[in-house]
Amino acid sequence: MSSQSKPLIGEASLTLAGKLSGISVANRGNPYAAMESWPQQLEPTEAWHTSLPLISLAGTPDFDSLSEADRKRMSFYEAVNFYSLNIHGERSLMESIAHRLYRKWPAPVSDYLHHFLAEENNHMTLFGSFCLRYAGKIYPDRHMNFPRTYAPGEEDFLFFAHTLIFEEIVDYYNYVNANDATLHPVSREINRLHRFDEARHLAFGRKIAADLFQAYSPSWSPETLSALREHLANFILVTLREYVNPDIYRDLGLADPYAVAERAWQSPSGLERRQKATSKLRHFLISNGILLEEPPL
Amino acid sequence: MSTSFNEQEIKTKLRAWVAAKSKHPEAAQLTDETPILERRILSSLQVMDLILHLEQLRGTPLQPDELQPGTFSSVNRIYEYFFQGK
Repeated sequence: MSSQSKPLIGEASLTLAGKLSGISVANRGNPYAAMESWPQQLEPTEAWHTSLPLISLAGTPDFDSLSEADRKRMSFYEAVNFYSLNIHGERSLMESIAHRLYRKWPAPVSDYLHHFLAEENNHMTLFGSFCLRYAGKIYPDRHMNFPRTYAPGEEDFLFFAHTLIFEEIVDYYNYVNANDATLHPVSREINRLHRFDEARHLAFGRKIAADLFQAYSPSWSPETLSALREHLANFILVTLREYVNPDIYRDLGLADPYAVAERAWQSPSGLERRQKATSKLRHFLISNGILLEEPPL
Repeated sequence: MSTSFNEQEIKTKLRAWVAAKSKHPEAAQLTDETPILERRILSSLQVMDLILHLEQLRGTPLQPDELQPGTFSSVNRIYEYFFQGK
């Protein structure tokens, strides 16, 4: 295997991990301090909590038929869905990071994984507190994992690739929300704080995913590579699909929430949102040879 | 449970859904006993889509503790677990 003759993680990635650890130490976040200014209650019909272009029905006749108050209420449930997705995604991420601490990684990588873990825990505190305080719930997770076998190095690569896909899409939503002055200050601040840490996670994840792919993929069979590429393309789709959640439409009181979700997914505005949300991600995956062609959206 | 479909209708819809979503050669000849996951006719990612389809057929959302890998093993098992509560 090529990894025996060449280090798994390149020198540039180790330098980056050390630098990112320094930034994390200097900017250690405290979610409880951030929550001190949060109100005890929010009235969902009175403010925007998700930027209008990100709302999953925006640009569809279903959205056009809603009143201004219901559009704001929908933006609130969209935020609850976004934060719920982050809670589920980060919980799974934290389990996998904890499993990888002090395994085969060089010291700078293990050091940075500690910060990664701590920061994800802080984010979950913010997301979970918002959902429980203002919505009284977290939307359920529909992820299922089935045991399977992996080629050498494939499981580690897939862990970092899944993380990157999830975080690149989240970053787009954070960016748009954090820069939207019409959002309620609490929602805008959650997105700003999340993006501040996640920018480092993304920089780290891109380097590690590229390093692992370069180190391991030459030893994988054409069948393994082909199946892996198909899996990643499907993972992008499944991740995007979770932003079109029937639970949101049910909470809004819309008839047949599953049909509403399907209309949102099939709409031209939905496709445009998916293209924008995955623009950087697709460029990264293709320019590093991880995907050979544009994934279907 | 607020489904308006009978057992045969549900099983027919499930087989049709799998045949439409899976590229596996066995998907078109699926029986109610075919081991869907064991033969990799559906991937774990496609099961997430199946969960939404089941919710729509059943008329109620699935609860997280209902989601166990064994309950997706075949069309018969899916029907027993999610529609008969066995």
